[in-house]
Amino acid sequence: MNMAVSQTGRNPVAANAAAAIEVRHLVKAFYDASGDRITLAATDVNFTVKRGEFVCIVGPSGCGKTTVLRILAGLEQKLSGEVRIDSTTPPAMVFQEASVLPWLTVAQNVAFPLSLRGVSAEKQRGRVNELLELTGLTEFASAYPHQLSGGMKQRVSVARSLVDDRDVLLMDEPFGALDEQTRLTLQQELLGIWERTGKTVVFITHSVDEALTLADRVLVMSPRPGTIVADLAVPFERPRDVVEMRRDKRFWDLTYEVWRLLAASPEH
Amino acid sequence: MTNAHPSLSPEDIERLKAPARRASIYRIFSYFSPLLLLLLWELSAQAALIDRRFFPPPSAIAGTAWDMIVSLELFDHIGATLRRVGVGYAMGAIPGVLLGLLLGLSAPLRRVLGPIFAALYPVPKIAILPLILLIFGVGDASKFVVIAIGVFFLMFYNTLGGVMQIPQIYLDVARNAGATRFQTFRRIALPSALPSIFTGLKLAAGSSFIIIAAAEFLGARSGVGFFIWASWQTFAVSRMFVGIVVISAMGYLTILAIEALERRFVPWSKH
Ligand SMILES: Nc1ncnc2c1ncn2[C@@H]1O[C@H](COP(=O)(O)OP(=O)(O)OP(=O)(O)O)[C@@H](O)[C@H]1O
Ligand SMILES: [Mg+2]
Repeated sequence: MNMAVSQTGRNPVAANAAAAIEVRHLVKAFYDASGDRITLAATDVNFTVKRGEFVCIVGPSGCGKTTVLRILAGLEQKLSGEVRIDSTTPPAMVFQEASVLPWLTVAQNVAFPLSLRGVSAEKQRGRVNELLELTGLTEFASAYPHQLSGGMKQRVSVARSLVDDRDVLLMDEPFGALDEQTRLTLQQELLGIWERTGKTVVFITHSVDEALTLADRVLVMSPRPGTIVADLAVPFERPRDVVEMRRDKRFWDLTYEVWRLLAASPEH
Repeated sequence: MTNAHPSLSPEDIERLKAPARRASIYRIFSYFSPLLLLLLWELSAQAALIDRRFFPPPSAIAGTAWDMIVSLELFDHIGATLRRVGVGYAMGAIPGVLLGLLLGLSAPLRRVLGPIFAALYPVPKIAILPLILLIFGVGDASKFVVIAIGVFFLMFYNTLGGVMQIPQIYLDVARNAGATRFQTFRRIALPSALPSIFTGLKLAAGSSFIIIAAAEFLGARSGVGFFIWASWQTFAVSRMFVGIVVISAMGYLTILAIEALERRFVPWSKH
């Protein structure tokens, strides 16, 4: 694996860093009792994510990306295989679908994990304000979700996942509903946070472009039942400039490579 | 934020605010629309379209009511009825909501206990009133119990329905945020079910007044229901109607009060 070495950033992860996430021969199937039907969602999924690494997963719709992430988050039971997460805090998840709680204001939504833990109101406020600032939601702190746009709701979810500073961050197409401009800004912010905090990130996206912008490594999945068909290192130095890196020829070579892999995946 | 919109002209702001203002005007009118019914009744009675012996015009009833208000005769009855409904309502609603939340969140409990409630629910509350009078006597306790039973089932089923409809994603969010079982109950299940709970509270308020009237017919020496019954026995039709209007108004005002609470406590849902 050829990791680029940068002098400025905290990254890349040392080649010998311990694994934060290890997935071996993971199989997941769903059984629908009323139709007596089994859906195989993922077969023999294998990958490792090192502590502090940023990994993106790309793959066609329905290939099992969300399923794998939910298993990592402990929200879904695996059928067989091994999943190991080595972290002192449970992973924080950003869900693919709208997941803000409609009965809480924006600020209360962001504070939700802290409030469950009985953090003092004052501490909560400080931390929440920081994240609202970061996600550009300060003005809407006291708005209810039904008063927000789709992209704003998604930003609330991102802010909530960061609020209690967990070691592992699982993000399921968090910027999917955003316009190009906001997405670039948030990508840059996310990279900034990641570089400062050393979180381990697993990030699902259907955008090859986004994967190459963010990741240390890109995992490419086959169509359902999904399995990892390629594990590509992204060699750009850190910290990255999400705009500048698009002038690099290697960016487009890698884009081509991932597209080729996605197109070559056998259909089922 | 509201008043700082230099880019909007006063007319634009006017247009923007118009629907909300219209809605509040409608709301004020809606409080009084039942009065239209009284107006129609008055006119029909005056025009002799309906038999005045059975349906004295509201104006005549109002005269009777006024005498009774002046003599303070009605207030003891209203007080007695309100006390019985209030206590019985709370006795039924609180366990109804708690059990609804509990069974809604726990599939095993629902499977085991659900059928018991389903079997008890269709028993007519009025039909078991004699039994309740036998057990709890003719005092207030029997009224509390019969209302509590009626309220309990409405609250139980509405809450259960609300909890069963919680989108899975909210439970996932709670779990990922590290919520304990109790926190999921309190912070997710309860607020998600709140709109259904309020529907239940309104239905239960309506049926409480129906049940209390019947209960006071049969076994009471006070209360608006007793007053209606006593008036009927002396064929004082105007007095009887005063009682009917009073108990209807009590039910109506209670529901309005619950709606006001709903606007206050469910600010995220549209009304
Ligand atoms: N709870 C469930 N019950 C039954 N089948 C499910 C369930 N969740 C997912 N599946 C099935 O598993 C497969 C993988 O779904 P998953 O949500 O993981 O896909 P995905 O890769 O995230 O797709 P997308 O990019 O569209 O979000 C799909 O065929 C889906 O129908
Ligand atoms: Mg998905």
